Amino acid sequence: MTLFHFGNCFALAYFPYFITYKCSGLSEYNAFWRCVQAGATYLFVQLCKVSSNLTCYECCKEFMKATVDMADLLGLHLVMSRNAGKGEYKIMVAAMGWATAELVMSRCIPLWVGARGIEFDWKYIQMSFDSNISLVHYIAMAAVVWMFTRYDLPKSFRLPVTVLLGLCVYKAFLME
Amino acid sequence: MFEEASEVFDNMFKSSFPLTLTFIVFLPAVLILVSPLPAEAAHEFTVYRMQQYDLQGQNYGSRNAILNTEARTVEAEVLSRRCVMMRLADFSYEKYQKALRQSAGAVVIILPKNMSTMPQDIVQQFMELEPELLATETIVPVYFAMEDDELLSIYTQTQVSSSSQGSSSAAEVLLHSATANGFQMVTSGAQSKAVSDWAITSLEGRLAGVGGEDLPTIVVVAHYDSFGVAPWLSYGADSNGSGVAVLLELARLFSRLYSHKRTQAGYNLLFFLSGGGKFNYQGTKRWLEDNLDHTESSLLQDNVAFVLCLDTLGNGDGLHLHVSKPPKEGSPQHALLKELQMVVSEQYPDVKFSMVHKKINLADDTLAWEHERFGIRRLPAFTLSHLESHRSAARNSIMDMRSVSSSLDGAGEATAGPHVDLKKLSRNTKLIAEALARVIYNLTEKGTNGDLEIFTQQMQVQEEQLASLVDWLTTQPRAAQLVDKDSTVVSTLEYYLGRYLKDVKRHFVRADKRDPEFVFYDQLKQTMNAYRVKPAIFDLLLALCIAAYLGVVYLAVQHFGVLYSVLRRLMAPRAKQH
Repeated sequence: MTLFHFGNCFALAYFPYFITYKCSGLSEYNAFWRCVQAGATYLFVQLCKVSSNLTCYECCKEFMKATVDMADLLGLHLVMSRNAGKGEYKIMVAAMGWATAELVMSRCIPLWVGARGIEFDWKYIQMSFDSNISLVHYIAMAAVVWMFTRYDLPKSFRLPVTVLLGLCVYKAFLME
Repeated sequence: MFEEASEVFDNMFKSSFPLTLTFIVFLPAVLILVSPLPAEAAHEFTVYRMQQYDLQGQNYGSRNAILNTEARTVEAEVLSRRCVMMRLADFSYEKYQKALRQSAGAVVIILPKNMSTMPQDIVQQFMELEPELLATETIVPVYFAMEDDELLSIYTQTQVSSSSQGSSSAAEVLLHSATANGFQMVTSGAQSKAVSDWAITSLEGRLAGVGGEDLPTIVVVAHYDSFGVAPWLSYGADSNGSGVAVLLELARLFSRLYSHKRTQAGYNLLFFLSGGGKFNYQGTKRWLEDNLDHTESSLLQDNVAFVLCLDTLGNGDGLHLHVSKPPKEGSPQHALLKELQMVVSEQYPDVKFSMVHKKINLADDTLAWEHERFGIRRLPAFTLSHLESHRSAARNSIMDMRSVSSSLDGAGEATAGPHVDLKKLSRNTKLIAEALARVIYNLTEKGTNGDLEIFTQQMQVQEEQLASLVDWLTTQPRAAQLVDKDSTVVSTLEYYLGRYLKDVKRHFVRADKRDPEFVFYDQLKQTMNAYRVKPAIFDLLLALCIAAYLGVVYLAVQHFGVLYSVLRRLMAPRAKQH
């Protein structure tokens, strides 16, 4: 039944993405290739992050590493600026592409290799559920980035938006 | 190697970019997809298989080695095709029979790491069960494992789930399947097959006497192999590590005496360390055949005074001389008997010495003692042992181990099971040495007193020597299936004999091709993996839960607008207040 278990985990991870894609109206805008482009940008940004992580920092290693996560935000901004269209469309395309790329790159292989084995471990279910949470997280992150770049944002919203942006980037650092 | 790899990559990139790209992307994907499943187990441990051998055409022991079954304990109702796990403390023959009757897939018996914590009666009961376990030939693989914390937790979890199997409602079963762990036990080896062309090695060495050609010969024999229900666990401290230690110490003492012309006696001394002793003395049998039937002249043919076999001398307060025919008056055999009695009565009055007479019964499956092999060939022989009966369970048990706590001072807790007591071992060694010396130097006839001690001061029996010998012998299992002609046991014994004796030779026994007297099988030590598994119903349950969750997500996304408007209404009163 281990292939069945892999099927379970895969369904748990992938179907919400599929549902979001279909039901949020992206399919009507033929956004598939735009999402793939967003995914490619994700790959590029990850490569830059990895190569910058390889350089040594003298002080505050974790802090510098978290600052590099700023590149995520820049990448999202880049994707959104290249897409013409309404605000929601831009956000959804960027977030979908980004999160799907992350799903494929970081979760497919561990699931395939691990969930198919004889040994059962709860971590595969956790990993799949985690991907759902990161989908919501990336949608929120893209929305905040978009809001930050809007010039017609009411002044009172500036501060919360900046704080949320900071939280996004330094989330891993603050969790330590 | 790296230059060649970089050259290959250079060529690849020069040829065509898309091709190399697909190659680079495609190949790892294929490799990953077809790779074998990783072996990450909850717990990996070594297991030792029960004996499997054929002796004189009769099959003994467990015939099977492979195992890939779910674990259960004895309390479970359904045991068929499952691996039954039992702890030594709860082991009983009825439970074992129950498992076999229900056609269990395998049996794993968990032994405690420290045997001395086991109470005496459990150890004794297990020792008596060992030959019964082996007597019935079974196709079920039986394994022994040493207990550690993880294995114990696996056992307790399996026990809890096994005992609660029959008695719960459907809801409890569902809940149980979600929370509890099952274990799948898998061995990694292949099926067991017969080992071809196994050579049992025996060693002999001699000390030549002074005074002419036709001197009488005294042969001292001990078998160095050990036996137990699992070959890898048979350390054989008392039986027969003690016999080997006594023989080697006697060789050392008498070679010192024989190195000076004045103290050289008129007897040849022939020392023989035989292999395959626990398998009906195969080493001795072939040695006798070769020496008596196939050689022109040998020490065994001419004039053998007697053969003294040493078997299990490391403990006990009694000493028994086992004979198949009571020695006749005036024979050298009788002389040794008399000397032994005299030494015991004068120097060691608290040792109970007796002669045990048992006729050789050729209709039995196996011979009782080693001296019977010599007796069959009409050589006068006896066996000296602290055991009174050849049927004693202490001769063939895995519980026979060098005790962890040293009993040099006699203090400390009593060790369960047979073991070597160094004081008694050195006492027995000295006793035998004194009696032998009195025979070869003819001391009683010359009127020497009964309490004259020859082996004192520089010639004394060295207890540290005996201790280190027994320690070395019990660090590795010496089952006949594990000691081949290249093993360190044989070469170390050969080296040791070579220091004190002359003409040290190896003697090999290989089973006959067409009608083998003994056949050994392999796959005696395996690595077993215990994988945590969930029952099939758990997967179905999980699929249902995931389907429900996906349904909820779908509804949430479809009606996201509703959620949004609800949130706005919640935020609106606050906005109105600004």
